[in-house]
Amino acid sequence: MRRASEELAREVRPKRLADLLGGLDVVICCGSGGVGKTTVSAALAAAIASTADRRVMVLTIDPARRLASALGMTGIGADPVTVSAARLRQAGLPLRGELVAAMLDQKSVWDRMVERYAPNRHVAERILDNRFYQGISDAFVGSHEYAAMEALYELHEEGEYDCLVVDTPPSRSALDFLEAPERISDFVGARLLSWLAHPSRSGFHAMNFAAAPLLHIADRLLGGEVLGELGDFVGDLQTLYEGVQRRARAVSRLLRSPRIGFVIVTTLEPAAFAEAEHFATKLRELSMPLRAVVVNRVLPGFLADEAAVRAADVLADDHHGAQALSRAIGAPVDAAAAVALGRSYRLFFELAQREARQLARLGRIADVPAVQVPLITAPVSALEGLVQVAGAL
Amino acid sequence: MALIAARRGVRVLAVEVDAKGDLPEALGHPAVGFQPVVVQRNLSVLALHPEDSFQEYLAIFFKVPRFTRLTPLAGVFDFVATGVPGPRDMLMVGKIAHEERRREGDGEPIWDLIVVDATSSGQILPQLTAARSMRRLLRGGMLRSQVDFVDAMVTNHRKTALCICALPEEMPVAEALELHDEVVRDTDIGLGPCFLNRGLAPLSAPRQRRLVELLADPATARAAAPVLGEGVDRLVAGVRFADDLSHLAQPFARRLSTRMSVPVVAVPLVAARSGLATTRAVAAALEAAG
Repeated sequence: MRRASEELAREVRPKRLADLLGGLDVVICCGSGGVGKTTVSAALAAAIASTADRRVMVLTIDPARRLASALGMTGIGADPVTVSAARLRQAGLPLRGELVAAMLDQKSVWDRMVERYAPNRHVAERILDNRFYQGISDAFVGSHEYAAMEALYELHEEGEYDCLVVDTPPSRSALDFLEAPERISDFVGARLLSWLAHPSRSGFHAMNFAAAPLLHIADRLLGGEVLGELGDFVGDLQTLYEGVQRRARAVSRLLRSPRIGFVIVTTLEPAAFAEAEHFATKLRELSMPLRAVVVNRVLPGFLADEAAVRAADVLADDHHGAQALSRAIGAPVDAAAAVALGRSYRLFFELAQREARQLARLGRIADVPAVQVPLITAPVSALEGLVQVAGAL
Repeated sequence: MALIAARRGVRVLAVEVDAKGDLPEALGHPAVGFQPVVVQRNLSVLALHPEDSFQEYLAIFFKVPRFTRLTPLAGVFDFVATGVPGPRDMLMVGKIAHEERRREGDGEPIWDLIVVDATSSGQILPQLTAARSMRRLLRGGMLRSQVDFVDAMVTNHRKTALCICALPEEMPVAEALELHDEVVRDTDIGLGPCFLNRGLAPLSAPRQRRLVELLADPATARAAAPVLGEGVDRLVAGVRFADDLSHLAQPFARRLSTRMSVPVVAVPLVAARSGLATTRAVAAALEAAG
């Protein structure tokens, strides 16, 4: 079993992942929650900065603030922070380039977007001061994805960094992130909402006839005052439409360009693995380039050993195992201790067997290089752990 | 939790928020849709979809028939339900509030308990506070009173509890504590027990350690070969690996227990086949833990 997985790893890993992806402008790491995506993103960025003289930024879009923790730092904000090269060297990873980390500040990204695309300062201020706008840009889950896509595009256009490594939220949200260009374009172009709010202005008389029941619903739901206010807001928002449409098309092109690469991070847990398969399918459907799969926290091969589990089962037999062993080695063996040891190995044997079955299905995710990162059991600092993962990449 | 409650005669609705199909699979059933499906005795599951939730909402309150995706107005609904962030979150939480309020003909609640497999910890608070966020936007209209109702349900400590789940590792524990602190500091949401999943018992007894050392000795391993076979070295490596993992987890588990203002319930690592077998094993472990 162990040999089979090692051979598979060799087959699918022609060269280091950092070399393979380091030449790209943008690397987007996706995967389900709890698979170590943030650590892998930070480690990959560090590995790229260690192999080439490149300025690498790792940007987290996940609203959970794990990136600072992965990099062994106390906090990371919207302003880029340089990760100490001396600390990385001390932890075992000398850099040839530079590593910078930042976290998405969705509010300021939204504000900049409004300022950029509003026809004049007056409209921009009206939108920025609007309480609906403040609610959308501050409070709600989905607005994060819109802002993230804009931030990524901004950073890419500014060209200050040679490579952007992006840590995304768990994959269902990451899909929202990928579809954000279309969504944001829909949002500001929501003519239907404007038409609901101000039917007489919009001029779609035929549609107004069909919309009458909806207007009635909207009026009852929101109240006339709010509906009118919402209509004014949507009217202002529509002045951004052309600029945002243009931008959305550019972002959409970026996500499909050869300068970008997606990396799916997964563990061999059945749910995470199924999610990785789903995500790979979605990327294919969206024509977005999947470059690699990182299989994180892989158990060592000695846990899937058939001879060892036979020994474990003998020990776990609380009637005879300890007695037989005691006779064979000529020393007393505590029966309860023997059972505990046997059960402990059996538990991990079953987990390792399950992992081996998943590994055999790895090719089903996609025909791209796959890298296995072993589960780390040594008591190391966050940064040392990150350097160990970087070593595997 | 849903399985344990259902076995005790409680009528349970389990709700999957991201519609991945993991929750019904964990309860031994294929993926389900928006309508509750009975998957075990006393236990039903539904998957939340904002579009369906919106259609149901319109049907209940405005007698609007379901629109097919082909009708022009379906675009409006799709946009409102999935395209605008706030309403989407409200529709998700609103559906749960609706299920909580459903009653039989005799006035008895349809569900005694609703267990929600919620979104990830980085995203849960915006979802749970969506109603409160919307209250700030709405002054009147029918929606305002509904939003008030949803907010009241979410913040009623006798009705709703947020249970944070974590793994005994550095980042999950840090994230769990961050969420805990935010909930306590910034919201009126009540916290239920925290679940620390995939815990491992260390080789605590000195006799267990002595046996490992004994078997690690090559001479003893050779003597043990007639009984244990040739795999003793890998057995020892495996047991030591498990022990290392357990020791690595201890400080994080301790940190969680010390910092949380609610009880932390340890859930042991299980290796059953995925699906209902795993769920049963976890349920048994939880019941054993009291």
